[in-house]
Amino acid sequence: MRFTRFARRIILLAALPLLLLAIPAASAATASAATATGWIRLAHLSPNTPAVDVYLYSFGDSSAQIVLHHVAYGTVSPYEQVPTGDYTVAMRAAGAAATSAPVLSASVDVVAGHAYTVAGLGPESGLRLQVLDDQLTTPSGQALVRIIQASLKQSVVSVNWGGRMLQSSLKFGAVSSYQTVSPGTATLTVSGGGGQTTASVPLAAGTVHTLVVLDGPAGLQIDDLLDAAGSGTAPAGGAATGFGGMAPRGPSSPLPWLAAIGAGLLLAAAGGLRLRARRVPAPAAAGKHRVPAARP
Amino acid sequence: MRGGGRHARRRRMPAGRRTAALLVAAGLVAAGAGAAGLALTRHPDVPQAAALVVLPAPTGPIEAAPAPGAAQVAEPVSLVIPSIGVTSALVHLGLTSSGALQVPPTTSVAGWYTGSPRPGSIGSAVIAGHIDSVTGPGIFFRLSQLQRGDRVYVKRADGTLAVFAVTEVQMYAKDAFPTAAVYGAVPDPELRLITCGGTFDYTTRSYLSNTVVYAKEVS
Repeated sequence: MRFTRFARRIILLAALPLLLLAIPAASAATASAATATGWIRLAHLSPNTPAVDVYLYSFGDSSAQIVLHHVAYGTVSPYEQVPTGDYTVAMRAAGAAATSAPVLSASVDVVAGHAYTVAGLGPESGLRLQVLDDQLTTPSGQALVRIIQASLKQSVVSVNWGGRMLQSSLKFGAVSSYQTVSPGTATLTVSGGGGQTTASVPLAAGTVHTLVVLDGPAGLQIDDLLDAAGSGTAPAGGAATGFGGMAPRGPSSPLPWLAAIGAGLLLAAAGGLRLRARRVPAPAAAGKHRVPAARP
Repeated sequence: MRGGGRHARRRRMPAGRRTAALLVAAGLVAAGAGAAGLALTRHPDVPQAAALVVLPAPTGPIEAAPAPGAAQVAEPVSLVIPSIGVTSALVHLGLTSSGALQVPPTTSVAGWYTGSPRPGSIGSAVIAGHIDSVTGPGIFFRLSQLQRGDRVYVKRADGTLAVFAVTEVQMYAKDAFPTAAVYGAVPDPELRLITCGGTFDYTTRSYLSNTVVYAKEVS
């Protein structure tokens, strides 16, 4: 009875420090939750279409989340970060009532971490709203580039960057796929049937570009859009940004103390058992022996 | 003979009890010393940093991200995070020979990774700083205390300011560092602030985790 209670106490005492050790270990775990957003930008790339008002609606919400007024040919908005979900993009003639029927509309399903360009492309007679899935990840140390051909004057163009053909015979209203290029600054040459235009274009490592070929006041115009940028070379692993001067001390130091407690309790228990073993049978045994010794 | 026997008997009996009692006493003393030692070493032996001094927001012409295709923004020169009392010049950081992120040469200054976009231009700009030195707090000691919405100011070489709002504060184990999320391309002007966190491993003398603060430029 008393021994089992004693043993239980020893076990409890021995277990307590272990529990204390477990608490900081459990609280060190940190949950991470990604925010569910993506990006949308809007562009007017139809040369003979007058300026428009562009509306972005979250699905099922009749009031527009974003309204861009008087968006003229060649305009590309910055990216807007939006919660994931379905969206509708509507184009109306500039100044038209928000309640009027849109000239064009398109729906976009925004996926977390993805970016989209919703562009009015083609001639006015065949204007369409195209949803482009924009790429955000570059191969390590490389750049990505694509071309949107929005020139009506030069209906077919070829695009060359630093001697490398990025895209040949790209038709009006078409969008090329992304090309991976070694980073650097080089001359971009856009050539069509009626001449060519050049520009010095830097394409840095870790960046994504969209080159838009537009009808300029005279000849072609090149719009270099920096779609996204990250580190050209991503550092390996985490950062060694601490020396421990403010860290809680010694996660390994309690072991000697625990050993001392354990050894001490065992010793005490052993001693306690010996005391009991001698005390319990003692009255009878000791009496027998003492009586003859005391008689004389 | 009898007397000797009596003496021997008397000596034997108490001697056993005495040994047992001694064992109990020694055991209790050892356990007590162990418990005391444990209690003393378990006490939060965290060196105390000086009290937080919240700083005023810096002033200067605030310039939001340039239009796509516009000239590059100027290089970052200093950093101010009023809510956690951080004000620091920004040194340039590259990569170590093993390809890891170089860290500032002293613990009292933060640095901008020159392989990342400039703060305030499109992309994920990266700034790193130490949480502590061997003796006391470093420039980013309180980084993990940042709250969503807290402002971060980066002053550029041309005197303009880029202003960011904190969107997320995360801690990651270094062996599971989210390279793509931190260093990958993003289509808007963002900032990542990196320091150490979590448990300090005394055998490798390094922290096992990194705290990463994500911020987005406010216009």
